[in-house]
Amino acid sequence: MTATAERKPDYATYPRLTMAQARAAAAQLLAMRGDGAAVDDPTLLAIERFYRLEARLLDEERHDEWYGLLADDLFYWMPLRENRFRRDPRPPLDPAAMALFDECKADIAVRLGRLASNLVWSEDPPTRHVYVVSNVEAFSTELPTEFEVHSSFVQHRNRSEHDEATLMGRRRDLLRRVEGGFQLARRLILLPQSVLLTKNLSAFF
Amino acid sequence: MRMRDLVDTDFGTVDRRIFWDRAIYDRELERVFARSWLFVAHECQVETPGAFVTTYMGEDSVIVARGDDGINVFLNSCPHRGNRVCFADSGEGRQFTCNYHGWAFGLDGALRKMPKMGLYKSTPGFRMEDWGLKRARVASYQGLVFATFCDEAPPLADWLGNFRWYLDAVLDAEEGGTEFLPGGATRSVMRCNWKFPADNFVGDIYHALWTHLGGADPALGRHGGVKVENEGSYQVSANGHGWEFNNSFLGNAATMGDREILRYMRSRQDAITARLGKFRADMWGSVASATIFPNFSFLPGYFTFRSFQPKGPHQTEIHAWTLVPRNMPSDIKDRFRRGSMRTFSPSGLLEMDDGENWEHSTSANAGWVTRHQRLCYAMAPIAEADLVGLPGTVTAGQLSDANQRLFYKRWAEMMDAQSWADMPLPPAMVAQGTAT
Repeated sequence: MTATAERKPDYATYPRLTMAQARAAAAQLLAMRGDGAAVDDPTLLAIERFYRLEARLLDEERHDEWYGLLADDLFYWMPLRENRFRRDPRPPLDPAAMALFDECKADIAVRLGRLASNLVWSEDPPTRHVYVVSNVEAFSTELPTEFEVHSSFVQHRNRSEHDEATLMGRRRDLLRRVEGGFQLARRLILLPQSVLLTKNLSAFF
Repeated sequence: MRMRDLVDTDFGTVDRRIFWDRAIYDRELERVFARSWLFVAHECQVETPGAFVTTYMGEDSVIVARGDDGINVFLNSCPHRGNRVCFADSGEGRQFTCNYHGWAFGLDGALRKMPKMGLYKSTPGFRMEDWGLKRARVASYQGLVFATFCDEAPPLADWLGNFRWYLDAVLDAEEGGTEFLPGGATRSVMRCNWKFPADNFVGDIYHALWTHLGGADPALGRHGGVKVENEGSYQVSANGHGWEFNNSFLGNAATMGDREILRYMRSRQDAITARLGKFRADMWGSVASATIFPNFSFLPGYFTFRSFQPKGPHQTEIHAWTLVPRNMPSDIKDRFRRGSMRTFSPSGLLEMDDGENWEHSTSANAGWVTRHQRLCYAMAPIAEADLVGLPGTVTAGQLSDANQRLFYKRWAEMMDAQSWADMPLPPAMVAQGTAT
């Protein structure tokens, strides 16, 4: 099922997570510290290929194909960053706190529905994107079909004339091996900015 | 230059230089921001002694701290060499110590101690009490904390005036008060003059019909998304504050596309109506937006509250929080957390459409010829309001520029006034008649 297959999809029927499932997924991401065994080189190469494909699909606005890379139990999270003293006992990343993205697959479908509506004047003429993914490290998990992957990224945008934004950050992913490649099941996106130094996040990471 | 010559608030035109000129901006910092009551925090953010947040009043960095006797607000700049004193956005502690020379200040901003204190004790004329962090006046309304550095400003209750009665529609809809959802402010930068977002929220539902077509489409369906009519809708203005709204109870909330939220809101409708009366209960989550003058705005339904912090004539920083009744069930709070984020945050389906407009409304004024063509704020309300006894200046129909004209009228009054004596506020009235 693609996000834009029908004119008026009923997003209520799209894959969602319960609050408990989302919290469990967040806990899994927060626990990722690269503790598993490093994957072998062919697996690392396959994962890097997957990231290159993903970045190219996003750069070329091939959103439906990108949507096809997302697992039905996707949890996609970009928490806020706050400036706190080192002595502060609160956990720096809290899944119950406000976030910049806190999505399940149905939420992504709604976003793609917005872009596909042809009514989004702020994306017409389109923004030009360049997405660079680097520093890829992949580790095995308890499940032979799932991999913990850490990477860093540069997400560069230009639109109109002088309107430009470059966001850099880190990602933690849980990738699941499926027939023909991988699916993205969890993604934690950490921007280093506490004040987002651009006006919006009209992009995927 | 008299600002009242730059805004014609009768027919409705605005000189574009007020969105561009550095000299006008500098006068705003002095005459508007340094003389207004400005939102600084929700009481829930500084609930226990020692709790603090940092924020801005105009371009002045301030600390909001709960002391043993209440909430204090003071400048976040050491009076010794001027360095910022607190670099955390929030936290808990008993004192604030400047990184430069170690001067330490209490939760009331008073200077407590510093290294080699004896050298100051033996300095003729030096008194500890002269060198605290400059304190602001502080007052709260329904959990929202405001502060001002102006000694002459009238009390907060008079500043809000007739607007308080309407504010209760979102701040006192449920017993037990309200809270901000956890996580601090969502902050982002827009390269626009601060008044464009402030005037948008004070009375511009008109833009939603066009700007937000794409954002509303997936949740509500093609061209059916944004229902805005002048039937059953109003604008109200008081002291420059303004709210445009209809009587749909949950119209704004519906665009979050979460049926559980709507189910919950409907389940509360009778209780909220009993508490507030039908007129204000219908405002709770309706198609609406509001600004508390000069730069604190909110959207009923999404319950996003945000300040538009001025950062120069061409830059604004948005600080946003989501406010919910404290007694709301936790799973519904979590749905509002995600719903408000997915509509009105930097990644929000609706907010993403706004920034582009405000940035280009600002940057176009680089052109000298462009800057000297006035903007049109002329759309007239359909009528005077037919309801009697409503506080403030009420007009019928939410589609008009009525509130925006009164926002700029108050702005020009404050910009031109030498002192508070030259810009008095009208006395507040008590709601009566059909208003209740």
